[in-house]
Amino acid sequence: MSEKKPHILVIEDDPDMVEAIKIRFEANNFDVSVALDGIEGLSKARTKNPDLIILDIMLPKLDGFKLCRMLKYDEKYKSIPIIMLTAKIQKSDVSRGKEVGADAYITKPFKSEELIEKVKEFLAKPA
Amino acid sequence: MAIVSNYSQDEHQLIIQDLKNKFSWALWSRYIIAAFAIVLIYLGLISDAYMQYSLGLVTFLITYNIIAHIISLVKTKYSLWQITTLAIIFQVFDIISITVLIYITGWLDSPFWYLYLVLIVFSGFGMFSYYSFTVFLIAICSAVFYTGLLFSAYIGIFPLYGPSFNLTPNELLISINNKAVFTLASFFIFASTIYYFSKLLAEHRAELSRKNYELLKTMEEMKDIDRMKDEFVSTASHELRTPLSVARENMSLIKDGVIGDVNEQQKKLLSTSLTNVDRLSGILNNLLDLSKIESRSLDLFPQINDLGEMAKKAIELLQEKADHKKIKFELYCPQPVNTLVDPDQILRVFINLIDNAIKYTEKNGKITIGVESTDNKAIAYVSDNGKGIPKKDFSRIFVRFSRLSDFDEPAEKGSGLGLSICRGIVEMHHGKIWVESEFGKGSKFIFTLPKVGEKK
Repeated sequence: MSEKKPHILVIEDDPDMVEAIKIRFEANNFDVSVALDGIEGLSKARTKNPDLIILDIMLPKLDGFKLCRMLKYDEKYKSIPIIMLTAKIQKSDVSRGKEVGADAYITKPFKSEELIEKVKEFLAKPA
Repeated sequence: MAIVSNYSQDEHQLIIQDLKNKFSWALWSRYIIAAFAIVLIYLGLISDAYMQYSLGLVTFLITYNIIAHIISLVKTKYSLWQITTLAIIFQVFDIISITVLIYITGWLDSPFWYLYLVLIVFSGFGMFSYYSFTVFLIAICSAVFYTGLLFSAYIGIFPLYGPSFNLTPNELLISINNKAVFTLASFFIFASTIYYFSKLLAEHRAELSRKNYELLKTMEEMKDIDRMKDEFVSTASHELRTPLSVARENMSLIKDGVIGDVNEQQKKLLSTSLTNVDRLSGILNNLLDLSKIESRSLDLFPQINDLGEMAKKAIELLQEKADHKKIKFELYCPQPVNTLVDPDQILRVFINLIDNAIKYTEKNGKITIGVESTDNKAIAYVSDNGKGIPKKDFSRIFVRFSRLSDFDEPAEKGSGLGLSICRGIVEMHHGKIWVESEFGKGSKFIFTLPKVGEKK
């Protein structure tokens, strides 16, 4: 990790939010890829080989729960940690996030320090 | 059929379903009657003289019942008038065949006489509960029919059967007369009684089914409204949350100096903005919760828990905030008090109450938190030595968005939702919450919860 910048994929449909997250992570020495809808997110997750994915739930074309499940039930990609970042705060949504295999669930509006800490925590774990 | 048109489409379906059930019931009871007749014949209870007629009639009954059975198997969908006609036809057939059976096997001495009564009773209460007048008519018709049979036998149009076989014509006349009067009278009383009761029953049933239907409909509507409201609240809060998070993130990017240098004053302003954004999202969360609490759709996950433990946890979480104002906590909790509650929610009640107490208590003040129990209740309280609450506000403070008129400390802003959330949570646990206070001397918030698992 000391030589190569960790690579993060942000799948989020709100361009303003994406921009903000991107700036924040790049400032913290991360490589950031961005996908604005579910399908794009899925293909980028498969091709760009990210170290971690930050995933919104309400996405066009393919929602976050489904996307998460597709990755987590795939031997090839299931080791990529997924953090759900969403405005859905109901208990049922959180438990559904767990069900589909998300590694963490952070609700909007979030504190960026918290998010970065979580991300670092996951990246520090041996894959 | 005029009576039927008063019912709605769904009730038509109900009636049809009901009659269909009665059909299958009637089918099997006819088989039983036939079996009964065969047993009687087999046991020799019916004399040889009219054996062939009995056999013929039983055969007729079985054949016609099999046809009815086949019809009911082949045709499963009926309109109301079809099924009503069928019901009447079957009923008439039943009564004719059994009347003849009684006539052939010995009039009122016949064992089938009792079956006949049973059939009329059951058809009154069962098959025709919606059309009890038909039962009445059928009973009258069969009485007339039976009497007609007797008279035609007397005149000689029809052979006479039964125990009166060997009577002289004069005795026969008396016997027939007696039987006819007896039959007519008993049928008439019988039919009227059944008519009256089945009419009562039918009215009750129609009324009940109508009410039931209305209730179901209202319930469905309520559920729909509730679902829509929940959906609306959660969507609205989602829509509000997303832009809020963008604003927050961008502000914090600038404040953290990611974009470029910021001076102290700018930093301070951004800090304030961030605090307020957080406050806004806090209010949003509270609103969402409150709407769920008020519609009683908040999911509770009750466990048996010591109330004192929850109080301790709340104190730990708020210790820092209290230290800020140099406020001391005192916990009074002499023994464990077990309650069956959702620990997260009750913790929230404690946090809200203690947080309020911190807000409205002067520096160097003291907040006492206590947990006690009586025979059947768990009692918890949070009391402070702050300003207290005027009596006129006691009930008002639990209403959402209301804050005390006499307080104007700009630094202590709350959403005005905390106490109404507390009340909602406590009430959902079948408890009570209230306040005791003397203005100027502090206030005490008390809530009770049902107690469990206490040794006697």
